[in-house]
Amino acid sequence: MSFTTPYFTLPKFTYFKPKKLEDALSLLRQYKGKAKVMAGGIMLVNLMKERQIFPEYVIDIKGIDELKKISKTENGIKIGSAVTAIELQNSLIVRDNLPALAKAASYMGDRTLQHTVTIGGNISVGMPSTDGLPALMSMDSLLRIKSQDGERTIPASELVIGLGRTSLKDDEMITEIIVPYSSGLKGTYLKLINASEVAIATVAVSALLKERKLSVVIGAIAPRPYYFDHKSLQWKWEASLSENLKNASEIIGSNVKPMSDAVASSEYRKEVSKVLAVRALKEVFGGA
Amino acid sequence: MVVLKMKTISLKVNGITKEITVEDNELLLNVLREKLGITSVKAACWRGECGLCTVLLDGIPVKSCMTLAVETDGKEVITAEGLYSDERAKKLMESFVKHGAMQCGFCTPAFVVTSHYVLTKNPEVDGEELKKELNGVICRCGTYYQIYEAVKDAEKYYKKETKS
Repeated sequence: MSFTTPYFTLPKFTYFKPKKLEDALSLLRQYKGKAKVMAGGIMLVNLMKERQIFPEYVIDIKGIDELKKISKTENGIKIGSAVTAIELQNSLIVRDNLPALAKAASYMGDRTLQHTVTIGGNISVGMPSTDGLPALMSMDSLLRIKSQDGERTIPASELVIGLGRTSLKDDEMITEIIVPYSSGLKGTYLKLINASEVAIATVAVSALLKERKLSVVIGAIAPRPYYFDHKSLQWKWEASLSENLKNASEIIGSNVKPMSDAVASSEYRKEVSKVLAVRALKEVFGGA
Repeated sequence: MVVLKMKTISLKVNGITKEITVEDNELLLNVLREKLGITSVKAACWRGECGLCTVLLDGIPVKSCMTLAVETDGKEVITAEGLYSDERAKKLMESFVKHGAMQCGFCTPAFVVTSHYVLTKNPEVDGEELKKELNGVICRCGTYYQIYEAVKDAEKYYKKETKS
């Protein structure tokens, strides 16, 4: 989010609120390149107020019921892209099985905005400060993307390709998030917020442990989150936790190249990444 | 070329259903303040940070400066004015006065609306949880502690209501 003074009005556009997904996809095709999808709309409205984007058409997907479902099967948990942050926190499926995502959702803006922001919108804006993406990446989630031509499924790690840029095409939208695990996950999400800012992450770390599988994702420090697993962290399952943590912290420190911006410097972010990663790992391994 | 179409939306505001003609790009905040003259909904930051424009949309708190007016077609908006007909909310407002939970009072309507939502949902809300629930509204005078006390004190009126 930038820090310019917003206009009090929005640029002119035409608003659609389709009830069916097919209608939304056909509108996206019809007005390809001129239309924006709106779910919670917080980022979209803000960018329009700052006159950074001028969509001629806005397609509101809040009226589409199939995008607002959370379901659990043996192969994993499916979350519709228009599910709000409050719904994620209140959903028993998410709370019991995906602790990292429930915790990340509790950080998406302030409590009032959490009634509005959606998981799909949070990740598809492509901003480094997204809370959803590190949590989803640590759980090896897949994104189901649809257009009028059909659908494709990509790993969450392949969504963001640069600052504010995603691999979504103009006529595509995320319809569903698939977490390939349905139980037995230990996970957490930690976030450092600079005191002078509201809810914008300086560093965010999500960690996940599932039997002998470990992953740590560090977000908010670069356009794309950094992903580490037990292999790249050279995790020794037989060795002691403290030895592993020391080793992991060094590997993370030498592999991340954080950006410097108005919120924090590169060096500061690197140190905080190491500290938060160690804290998150301690938490998923159960204290110590 | 964007062709502008005026749309007529049906919006229930504080119990009264109104037909309002709006443009697609109008914000709910502007409609409430300028077209309907409801001035307890304050306009301050215009980008969803301060929370002073919070209203209840179908019973859920939203920031009206981030909400399009056309989105609210067929829905119900409740502002601080509308809460005055609710006995419990009246006691809540009296509690704000009793505890001196304001200096300039600019944020008070937003805090009343948000805490009414919190107490209606759970009258036995935990202290820490209550602070988190109210973190969407900013008070520049810093009367947060008094606001917290006022809401805590008003819990009893909401509890009674749920029992009967």
